[in-house]
Amino acid sequence: MSTYGTTRHHHAPALGGTYSTKDRVTDYHTTLFRRLTWEGTVPLEIRVDPKELPANSDRGLECYYMQAPRVSYLPLIMPEIRQFLMDVVFDDAAAKVLKEEDWWFESEEGTLLKWHWPIGLIYDNHTISASVKASAPPASNVVTPMKLILHLASPPSDKLLLSPSAEACKQAFMGQLKEADFIRWGSTKRMTGLRKVDQDGIWEGIKEHTFDDYWRVAAKVTPAITSTRPPSPGPPPSSASLHTRPPSADTAGPADRDGAYNVRSVPVRLYLPDGPVLQDLVPPLLEDGTPHTLGHYLFTHVPLLFPSRAPTPQERRSDLAYALVQGVVSPYESEMAWLGATLAGADGWLNVCVGICRN
Amino acid sequence: MAQATASPDAPTRTLPWLTTEVSEETLEAVKALETYKKKDASKVIVRFKAVGNAPIMKQNFYKITSSNRFQAVIHFLRKELGWKAGDPLFTYINLAFSPAPDDTVSNLFKSFATDGHLIVNYSTTAAWG
Repeated sequence: MSTYGTTRHHHAPALGGTYSTKDRVTDYHTTLFRRLTWEGTVPLEIRVDPKELPANSDRGLECYYMQAPRVSYLPLIMPEIRQFLMDVVFDDAAAKVLKEEDWWFESEEGTLLKWHWPIGLIYDNHTISASVKASAPPASNVVTPMKLILHLASPPSDKLLLSPSAEACKQAFMGQLKEADFIRWGSTKRMTGLRKVDQDGIWEGIKEHTFDDYWRVAAKVTPAITSTRPPSPGPPPSSASLHTRPPSADTAGPADRDGAYNVRSVPVRLYLPDGPVLQDLVPPLLEDGTPHTLGHYLFTHVPLLFPSRAPTPQERRSDLAYALVQGVVSPYESEMAWLGATLAGADGWLNVCVGICRN
Repeated sequence: MAQATASPDAPTRTLPWLTTEVSEETLEAVKALETYKKKDASKVIVRFKAVGNAPIMKQNFYKITSSNRFQAVIHFLRKELGWKAGDPLFTYINLAFSPAPDDTVSNLFKSFATDGHLIVNYSTTAAWG
């Protein structure tokens, strides 16, 4: 885990100046962070439950290691794992009787791994759960593979909630995209306005892990970071009134209306170790017109863990908890709108995973 | 309905790290996590609305415990409709999207309630899938 300085290095605050509302160039930094999110991978160690290994399996080779894309899903890495098991571990007789639709994953600690959670979220959720366990090493830069147990029979379907097929995963993914769309704009018309070929294309982009295919469609539904954005903090009254209008105001130009800072709310979920998951409306700007920061968000939602919205360096030495976004410990001054437009998962959701500091 | 997903609280155990040397901050954080883990016992009003050919319910307002998962709402609805396993039923929020089954009623209510109700549409065919 490392820390990036993510905010405000690319926009000079043009206090009281004029803004070009037509300028909607997705800047270099936005693309860079979207690319980093897309290319992010997590190390996995996959082992078939030894009790379930069919007779004549090669036990010496039962482990499979891989770097899985954060934005992918377990059903999508199944073919690769299956290939390995069939080629190397199982003999022909076993390979014939095993049914892939009965397979399911568990973490080493016995947590069921859901088919419809992005792999990066599964990994981060595991990291924060480990942060409360006694044996957990303090948060460090050492990245260790997450150990997954693959079961070959008797899936607990009622708890897994979905069937393991790529098709079920696609439906869940589209559902999440629509929910995110609704959170941002109060309707799903951007999503439902996509042609069938685009709706299929965005999923193909995930399945084939092709950045350009995914973003060709995703750019139509994801808010833009434009070079016009609210000045902060404490703008003079004239420009404040220009930038604190309600998101639905019709006076905004088309570029502005699609901007990350003009959404009604940022799709965010907050994960605490071993639950619960919190979801709420997270406006991009606070009532005073300043950007809603991660520090403010954490302070408002889990004040017992983040007792200050902008801790001083002294206070930070006794931090109780930390917040991961895409596996990165994120600074308190990061702006929620910016995070939502650049570091959200492929399903449009910004996942904030909170772990506890072990000093 | 209220108890649909209620599970008995895990027995209290002596947590191993409490016996070794742990900083005050860690203890405080662990205590905070326990607080946030407590289930929200409050109830919210869920309003079911049939779409297309789906049968209409006699009563369509229900008070449902916030900490329930949406999955429990789907189970409840299927039971009320007398649906058998395998009978198709599609559920949506605000005629717009299907939420993740593991999301809680509380989270959905906070984000999508209309006039104090969480509106759940149900259909026998995929409508906004």
